[in-house]
Amino acid sequence: MKEYSVVGKATRNIDGVAKVTGEAIYTFDMTLPGMLYGKLLRSPHPHAKIISIDTSEAERLPGVKVVITGKDTPGGKYGPWRRFPELMDEEALATTKVRFIGDAVAAVAATSEDIAKRALELIKVKYELLPAVFNPVEAAKDDAPQIHDGVENNINVTRHIEWGDVDEAIKIADYVREDRYELSSQSHAPLEVHDALASFDKSTGRLTVWTSTQSPYYVQLGLADALKMREGDIRVIKPHVGGAFGGKISTYTEQICAALLSIKTGKPVKIVLNREEEFAVTRRRTPMHIATKIGAKKDGTIVAKEVKVIADGGAYTALGSTALYLVGIYSSFPYKIPNYRFDGCRVYTNNNPSSAMRGFGGPQAVFISETQIDRLAHDIGIDPIEIRRKNGMTPHYVVPGQATIESCGLHDCIDKIEQKVKEWGELPKYQGVGMVCYGFMSGGIFNWINTPYAFSGAMVRVNVDGTVDLFTQASDLGQGSNTALAMICAEELGISLKDIRLHVADTGITPVDLGAWGSRQTLMSGNAVKAAAAEIKRKLMDVARIKLGENIVYDLEAKGGRIYLALRPERGYSYYDIVKDAIKYNDGEPLIGTGHYTPHGKGMVSPAFTFGAQAVKVEVDIETGRVKLLDIVTAHDCGQVINPPAVRGQVEGATAMAAGCGLTEELRSEDGLVLNASLAYYKVLRYRDMPHIETLEVHTYEPEGPFGAKEAGEGLTTPTAGAIANAVYHAVGVEINSNPLTAERVLKALKALKKNKAT
Amino acid sequence: MKKLLELTVNGEHYEVLVEPKTLLVDVLRDQLGLKGAKRGCDSGSCGACTVLLNGKTVHSCSILALQANGGEILTIEGLADGPNLHPIQEAFLDHWALQCGFCTPGQIIAAKALLDENPNPTEEEVKTAMNGHICRCTGYNMITEAILDAAKRLQEARR
Amino acid sequence: MKNITQNFEYFAPKTVEDALSLLSRYGDKCRILAGGQDLLLLMRQDLIAPEYVIDIKGISDLDYINFDDKEDLRIGALTTHRTLEKSTLVKNRFSILSEIEQNLGSVELRNCGTIGGSLCIGRPCGDPAPLLIVLNGRIKIASLRGERIVSVESFNLAPFEVDLRPDELLVEIQVPNSPPRNGVSYKKFSQLEEDCALTAAAVSITLNHEKNICDDIKIALSMAPTAMRAKKSEEVLKGKEINANLLAEAGQVASEEAGTLTEQASKGYRKKLVRILSKEVSDQYRRELMKVLVKRAGEEALERAKRA
Repeated sequence: MKEYSVVGKATRNIDGVAKVTGEAIYTFDMTLPGMLYGKLLRSPHPHAKIISIDTSEAERLPGVKVVITGKDTPGGKYGPWRRFPELMDEEALATTKVRFIGDAVAAVAATSEDIAKRALELIKVKYELLPAVFNPVEAAKDDAPQIHDGVENNINVTRHIEWGDVDEAIKIADYVREDRYELSSQSHAPLEVHDALASFDKSTGRLTVWTSTQSPYYVQLGLADALKMREGDIRVIKPHVGGAFGGKISTYTEQICAALLSIKTGKPVKIVLNREEEFAVTRRRTPMHIATKIGAKKDGTIVAKEVKVIADGGAYTALGSTALYLVGIYSSFPYKIPNYRFDGCRVYTNNNPSSAMRGFGGPQAVFISETQIDRLAHDIGIDPIEIRRKNGMTPHYVVPGQATIESCGLHDCIDKIEQKVKEWGELPKYQGVGMVCYGFMSGGIFNWINTPYAFSGAMVRVNVDGTVDLFTQASDLGQGSNTALAMICAEELGISLKDIRLHVADTGITPVDLGAWGSRQTLMSGNAVKAAAAEIKRKLMDVARIKLGENIVYDLEAKGGRIYLALRPERGYSYYDIVKDAIKYNDGEPLIGTGHYTPHGKGMVSPAFTFGAQAVKVEVDIETGRVKLLDIVTAHDCGQVINPPAVRGQVEGATAMAAGCGLTEELRSEDGLVLNASLAYYKVLRYRDMPHIETLEVHTYEPEGPFGAKEAGEGLTTPTAGAIANAVYHAVGVEINSNPLTAERVLKALKALKKNKAT
Repeated sequence: MKKLLELTVNGEHYEVLVEPKTLLVDVLRDQLGLKGAKRGCDSGSCGACTVLLNGKTVHSCSILALQANGGEILTIEGLADGPNLHPIQEAFLDHWALQCGFCTPGQIIAAKALLDENPNPTEEEVKTAMNGHICRCTGYNMITEAILDAAKRLQEARR
Repeated sequence: MKNITQNFEYFAPKTVEDALSLLSRYGDKCRILAGGQDLLLLMRQDLIAPEYVIDIKGISDLDYINFDDKEDLRIGALTTHRTLEKSTLVKNRFSILSEIEQNLGSVELRNCGTIGGSLCIGRPCGDPAPLLIVLNGRIKIASLRGERIVSVESFNLAPFEVDLRPDELLVEIQVPNSPPRNGVSYKKFSQLEEDCALTAAAVSITLNHEKNICDDIKIALSMAPTAMRAKKSEEVLKGKEINANLLAEAGQVASEEAGTLTEQASKGYRKKLVRILSKEVSDQYRRELMKVLVKRAGEEALERAKRA
């Protein structure tokens, strides 16, 4: 492993002081002079025609400045899928019908929250109820109510991925097994709810929006579409964000309405969701019905796999179509499967839209794949670790027609986990260990938004005193991308972090970056930052080279605040002196470097993949079914670690979220109404629920990543639910095909097992 | 009809007029401009609004401002000594015990209350004392480590 | 985020008499505010909107823990859960109460929430009502009309409904001294380590002074649909030498005896709350838990009684 000066060294969060002192400002905290408070009126019905909306009484309430409905929104339909206009199926405010409980139909701006709330009560909406459908299998039937005009059988999108010949291969397999799964929905539940503050400047016709988002760029585009404005007349700024986890990627109703209300009133307008709305109307993880068949030889070599998915899409496309695609990709990971077929179908229902949630199809894929492979191993009589080793991907493996795996530390990860499991040794009754392998992307190549820009851009400006202004639109949501990107810049220039000042996530200032999703920023934004810094470094080295007057074959290095001959380090100059010279020698022109990155020649999924293995030890209370987590160990290959504590933070945080998905978190609804829309009833794990977690280091070098780095964000959310299911299987012998493994589910399975054994 | 509320917050004395229904957290955030305490839920479940009231941790979203009348409050803004961070804040930074930071002010105040009462807690005691605080980012263990380290630093400082 | 919509007139009486006068004057238009950990949340959800709020937190006369001459524990209604948790008096003499307080919500909740407030809101999960039932706990209720004492057992009528008239104030909780050879256990079940219980069982066993025969037994459940005494279950064990089979049988009977938590039986603001609670798990599973918890609490109570 190469030793660097900054990269790879534990570094404090550069936003840390602001956060520990309470000085960090989130959209939630912001106010502007003259600000009005906006609120949204939402449909209480899952499916209904809007017959009329009477806002007159609300408009007359003192303190109410404006009330808007669907007819006031200029842009018609919008959505993240700009490549496929037929999938842009959302409206900021419903015009003709509502499609889920919570679909917004009107918005109010008033001088106080109380008045805005009162105004909502005065808006009279006449609905004509329509039959509703909540299950995707039911919704795809011929007699199901049609949710979107022109969409037959409510089929939103289908996806097909195939290589080899699955049917032939299954015929000659020694072992075949089929499993069916029902995977539930989870909620991101970030501590900061969705919010937006919009301010329209009448004099310039320009709009500024502050919002808790993962991608200021996507919000800018979505607003431009919805408001029929030029992108350049909209400035989107991301303040500190109180968590997002995939729920804040696109443009949402509250952002568009805050903007519209501001345009109409000429005053800043802020809309903040409450926690009930946060659970019930914002996006959620895509629930899936999955049937999967796997065929293997008697030595455990996998010969074929088939996966079929019916996804509950909810009322709109959102990013759910990508979750459908990725569950198809990830269900083939991390193994060499010569014949593979995936067919997925996302069906509209009258639930709130399902979309991206940390892992983006990965948690579902790993749950089904890893429980199935454990059971297959049991069928064949082969060790569950051996079967994974036998089939695991290796460096340079080509996933037919999809991607090339360059760096791959999977086998090291498996070795390390195997060692740990051995250390845990013989377990008492009702305890079990489950192991899981996974692979994940480092940024997606699919370009739904149809952007003509490079996926990541960055700009570095070096001032005459050597201080650096780094401009990046990459979004830090807490994962530490600000710190990581500053570290990459510092490493490239050979300086320390104290000389770097960040300007981030402001579409008015920073070059386009697609934002924080699909675990892309370390690799993609990192590459752009490195390239921008490299451009500066070249300029500085050109100056140093001339000053040194040495033979052109001698290479220079930038390190420790100096620029010097690599072979004769004592021959060089201080970085600060060279900066002054570089500006002076170029007629005083500012020292600016730009960089960008878009993956090329890397297939259609991702430019690089991370890998890992995880083992979870549990204890099952067989009388109540309650599963207790005892220990979790993960080996994660993220190439070169940029900031070790940040990676550990990601492992542990992702594990907590994934363990929740496996044990306690489920967004439950009945007839379209979310039953547990509260942090009291949606059960996220707490201090006392988390066991000891250990992260084992596995080092590889990814040529496509900055200094060899890959992601450490989402991949880690994929394994734990499946590992828990495997652990329970090994502890008490039950196969559970749905999540989370609540005590009730486990007890039911235990009783069924007992009954089967008796008969 | 508004009533007079008197509070000492971070050592400063304030007099504000409040409607009886106003929650303490909203007085702190909206009238006194102390935005550190956050609102993360509507069910008293998350601890993001935690402040010290007369030396005890409370959910400032679950108390009427008037219930704190005449009381002494410590918020996150009152913890550091000018530019010098409190050892708990330093420990949080050194242990990467925060990510998005939204729950952090509440966590740090609760940690302070714990260490004031129990200067040498076990890991179990830390987890039990902090269990009312949800963190969606860290998975909690790194915060526990930071608090245990802060306990050591505070003990060193006392010597 | 959700705030209280309806404004109200706010009083902060400093004596019990003043509080009772206000209660008498405003009756069902007012609400008592103690710790606020329940009331304010319900008001923020727009489920309750009183016109008058009587903040009794300032009545220091109601904040005490002591023993009377019969060695019965007397707890003032405004004693916070945190005070109970930390009280060495309680830990030494009624350790089970100390135990339950340590696991009741978060530190923040215990700092503000009072035992009186918790009893008056009448949550189906009831803490600490089921325990107080098996301890033969009593409640002293005051009004301008006089005082009355009721058993905790009769206090809980239905989910979020207690035997408290609009002009009444709960002032004291009384816990009789335990007899010799008595053991008490409380077992609750939640999916997370510390959470509002899906159900709980409290068992108090008093053994004969000579033999290991069960002279007296009290069993109480929560969420059944509220805190409830399981009398049929008690009959399985009373007068017998308790063994594992009997405990399992008692659990089975308790699970059949318990009422169902269902929104149909609730009115007004309670309906929404009960709906959410009742849908957390199936009724069948809740009864499975009751069976197991009664058995386990019985085992532990028996052990403690033998050691006493």
